[in-house]
Parts: sequence; C-alpha cells; structure tokens
Amino acid sequence: MESRILKPVLGVYCAAFILFLYAPMITLAILSFQGPGGGPQFPIIEWSTYWYRHLLGLTEPGRIARLPIGESLLRSLTLALMTTVVSTVLGVMTAQGFRKRFNGSGVVFYLVILGMIVPGVLVGLGMSLLSNTVGVSRTWWGTAFVLHVVYTYPFAFLVMLAILNRFDRSVEEAALSLGVSPAETFRRVTFPMIFPGVLSAMLFSFTLSYDEFSRTLFASGREQTLPLTIYGTFAVEIYPNIFAFGVLTTLFSFTLLAIYAMLMTRAVRAGRSFKGQEDAL
Amino acid sequence: MELVQNGAGRAAGERRAGSPAAARERAERRRALLLVSPGVLWMALFMVLPLAMVVYVSFWTQTTFTVEPTLTTESWARFLTSPTYISAAWTTVRIWAIVLVSTLLVGYPVALFIGLMVRNQTLQTALLVLCVIPFWTSFLIRVIAWRPMLGTEGAINSILLKIGVIDAPITSLLFSEFAVLVGMTQIYCVFMVGPITFMLARIEPSIIEAARDLGAGFGRIFWRIILPLSLPGVVVGAIFVSVMVLGEFATAAALSGRTVNLLGNIIVSQVGSLRWAFASVAGVVLTLVIAVVVSLLLRVVSLRKEV
Repeated sequence: MESRILKPVLGVYCAAFILFLYAPMITLAILSFQGPGGGPQFPIIEWSTYWYRHLLGLTEPGRIARLPIGESLLRSLTLALMTTVVSTVLGVMTAQGFRKRFNGSGVVFYLVILGMIVPGVLVGLGMSLLSNTVGVSRTWWGTAFVLHVVYTYPFAFLVMLAILNRFDRSVEEAALSLGVSPAETFRRVTFPMIFPGVLSAMLFSFTLSYDEFSRTLFASGREQTLPLTIYGTFAVEIYPNIFAFGVLTTLFSFTLLAIYAMLMTRAVRAGRSFKGQEDAL
Repeated sequence: MELVQNGAGRAAGERRAGSPAAARERAERRRALLLVSPGVLWMALFMVLPLAMVVYVSFWTQTTFTVEPTLTTESWARFLTSPTYISAAWTTVRIWAIVLVSTLLVGYPVALFIGLMVRNQTLQTALLVLCVIPFWTSFLIRVIAWRPMLGTEGAINSILLKIGVIDAPITSLLFSEFAVLVGMTQIYCVFMVGPITFMLARIEPSIIEAARDLGAGFGRIFWRIILPLSLPGVVVGAIFVSVMVLGEFATAAALSGRTVNLLGNIIVSQVGSLRWAFASVAGVVLTLVIAVVVSLLLRVVSLRKEV
C-alpha cells in the first residue's frame, strides 16, 4: 500500500535528478548562442552563431584568442587510439592468464587494479620527476601515453575478467583435445566468442583516455591534448567560445558513440552467423 | 594397511608428476605467467616506479627554484607546520566526506527507483542510459557548465528573480565551497547510482513479496532486506567517488575562485612554481589519505568477491 505512494514520489524525484544532471549543459548550450557583445551569462543580448564561427576561425581575429582545437583534437584522438589498442591487448592477455590459478595472483590483481585507484595528478607528478631524472623529454605520445595505459588497462582487464568468468569452456576444451594448439584455439574459438567484450573494453579505454587530463597535465610536455586546451581556459576569464566548444565536443563524442554502436551491432550479427555455421556443421 | 596405502599413494604421486596431465598443468601455469607478465612489467615501470620517485623526491632538498637529491626531512617539517598545507589536507577530507554523503543521499533514491521499482527491462536500461549520456561530454566542460548556472547573472539567479523568490541575486552561489560541493555531487553522483542500481536489480522480487506477505511494512523491508543487499553496491560506489574526489583539483579551481584549496590544488600549484619536493610531500600525504579511506571501505565488503 505504501509503495503506491512511494513509487510516484520516487518517479518524480528521479525526473528531478535527471534535470539536475542535464540543466548545466542545457544552460551552457543556450549561452553558446550569445551575440559577440555578450558575456558568458544571461541575458542573451542577441542570438547568433558568432562564437561558433569564432571557434572555427571564420571571424575576424578579435581581442579574444582562438582556441587551438584542430591540433589538440588530432592529438587526443591519436592518443586515445594508441591507448585503446595497447590497454585492450594487455587487458585480454592478463584476463586470459587469470583463468589459470598461479602463485601471486592476488598481488598481480591488486597491482593492476591500483592503476585506476591512484590519483592521476600523483602518477603524473611521479612520471615527470622520473623523466627529469632519467633525462627523457615529456611528450603526449610517450610519457603521457604510458600513463593513459596505466589508467585504462585495469578497466579493460576487469571487463575481460567478467566476460571470461561467464565463459563456456567446453568448446575450447574440445578444440584443445582435438590437438589444436592453444594459440590457434584462442584465435579461432575463444576470440570470436569474447569479441563483444573486447569491444566494450575498447570503448571504455577510448572514452577514458580521450577525456583524461590529470595524468596528462604534468606528463605531456608542451603540446596539448583536447582536455588540456579546455583546462588552460580555466586560468583566464571565460568567454562563450568555451561554451560553443563544449557543444561541439559533445556532438563529436556522440558521433563517435554512434560509430561504435554501428560496429557493435555488426559484430553481434557476425557472431550470430558464426554460431549459425557451427549449428549447420 | 596404512603403510601399504601410503606407499601406493606415493607411487601414484610419482606417476602423476611425470604424467602428461602434470606436464600439461605445468605448461598451462607457465603460459599464465607469460600472459600476465607484460601487464605486470608495464605497471611496475610506469606506475610503481613513478610513485616510488614521488616518495624519494619528498626527501630531497628544496631551494627556491632548484631541487637537489640530498636527503632531508625539511620539506616534511615545513608541510606539517604550515597552516596552508594542513588546512588543505583538512579541506580535502571535509569536502570528501560531504560529497560522499551527498552523492549517497541524492543517488540512493534514484537507484531505488530504477533498480527496484521499474521492473520493465527496456525502461530500466533507458533510464540508466539517460544517466550516463552526460559522460560523453568532457569532464572539464561539465565543470565549467556550472559557471553560467550559479553566477550572479546565471540561470538559477535569473529564474529566482523572475519568479520573485529573491529581489537581489545571491552572490555566494559561485566562487564558494557551495559551488564546489554542488558541482562535485552532480559530476560524481552517477558513480554511486550505477553500482547501487546494479545490486538492487539483482534482488529476487519473491523475497520482498514474502516479507510483505508476512506483514512487514516498506520501512521494515527497506532496513532489513533492501539496504543490506545493496551494501556492496554502496561500497563500490563509495570507492569510486572517494578515489575521484580525493584526487580532484579542477572542480575546486574552476568553481571556487581559488578559495577552496585541496591537496590536488597544492600539488598543481607547487609543480607550477617548480617546488617539486613540496609537491611530492603533498602527494605522499594524499596517497596516505586515499589508502586509509579505501581500506576502511574495503573492511565493509570484499571487492574481489564481487567482481
């Protein structure tokens, strides 16, 4: 009886929560259409796409510096791709290794998990101290890249571990007992079956690396990634060009997400036809 | 009789050691170690070594612009006697505690609704996706989006003025500790909602039905069944939120106008003025705080059992 009151009340609360989640972004999106004379606040003096044009370099260079988005976007995407490949490979390997009990597996587990627990600012500091001492120059594709993998690899590992825990061993065992080598078994049997999980691990790694800035801040040297470009604007007065930038990066992320969803659907369909072949045999 | 059995057992054991099964066992174990080693090597080189370096440098000798590898405890002494640093450590712990409680209080009812009340799978997934969508916007953009919300001429003040609740804008919304707390609660709340929803959705509806049939009211069902069963989710969420909030510096920098200084902010500003040793001391203190918090949380629930 009480739940008859409770459910609608919680439903309304949940709607309010979703408004709380979205309201700042909605406000930001509205203010990104501020006119050239207006500031990053209400009221909107005139509606215009001025700040979008400013961002894309389509206006006269005014008193407000243009954000270097082109290069930093390219760097961020390259870095996220590199990180995705390496951390997924490491994650799959480690999770595959964990299917066999071995001495010290507890230590290895916590060593890997520590990568997502240690604050980014701390490993970033450590890495820049280390590179100073060793005499390696700091770059986004070197020192920052290895730290990105330190961060995303535990996530990839956990995703793969969860997938492999629910894995049906019998097909693998059949292949192995028919004399197929372990490497061949992995390539032909295991990998196609865990592929959707691999895609999830890749999505995790990509999004985390693409948005990562606390590790990158100290470790990336002079050339900035996309989040560092945004962070740089924190120190100065903000203008609506940041808001336009926020809207554009969000739209870009959704495009990437749509591409991922398409790949995922295709992979799941391919996986189904793979099983279909097996049935036919 | 016993002797015979022992002898037979030993013989069987010897046979097993040389058997194909034992050889395969050994090969598998070797392969497992081989598979694990690249990851271990990566973590040792790029995580453990940098962290060890932070501890080491915290004992270096710091002068105004240079730092030398002569070991001293001077930076530590300065940290522990400086009101600025001590207050930053205290602020970090206080903000962490408030954000942890507020994300739990704000997030738990949402998880309760999505995980327990909505039994339609499609709607459940749709609501969760709706909560996760904001995460495809850059973290820093989500932080900066609170400025036009909370500012003197921001959305909240404009709305309150228009409906006549206030006659003058509230100036303390932005550039205050309040702004940092609101921002952090909104940004990290979903990390609490997710794990709790997951645990709540796994509760058998029949258990709750049984309790209801036996005459238990909702309050009693909540305290005796729902809350204990969702506890692992709360702990996982609390670990996520704690780790992220304790390492924070960007939200405080953007929303407090430099009035809130966390340990993370101390590290950033000290690195900015090339005082590596002080930054390292702050880093070690931060690590200790996180270690204490996480191990306290892990006392409640074993994480490895839940994976």
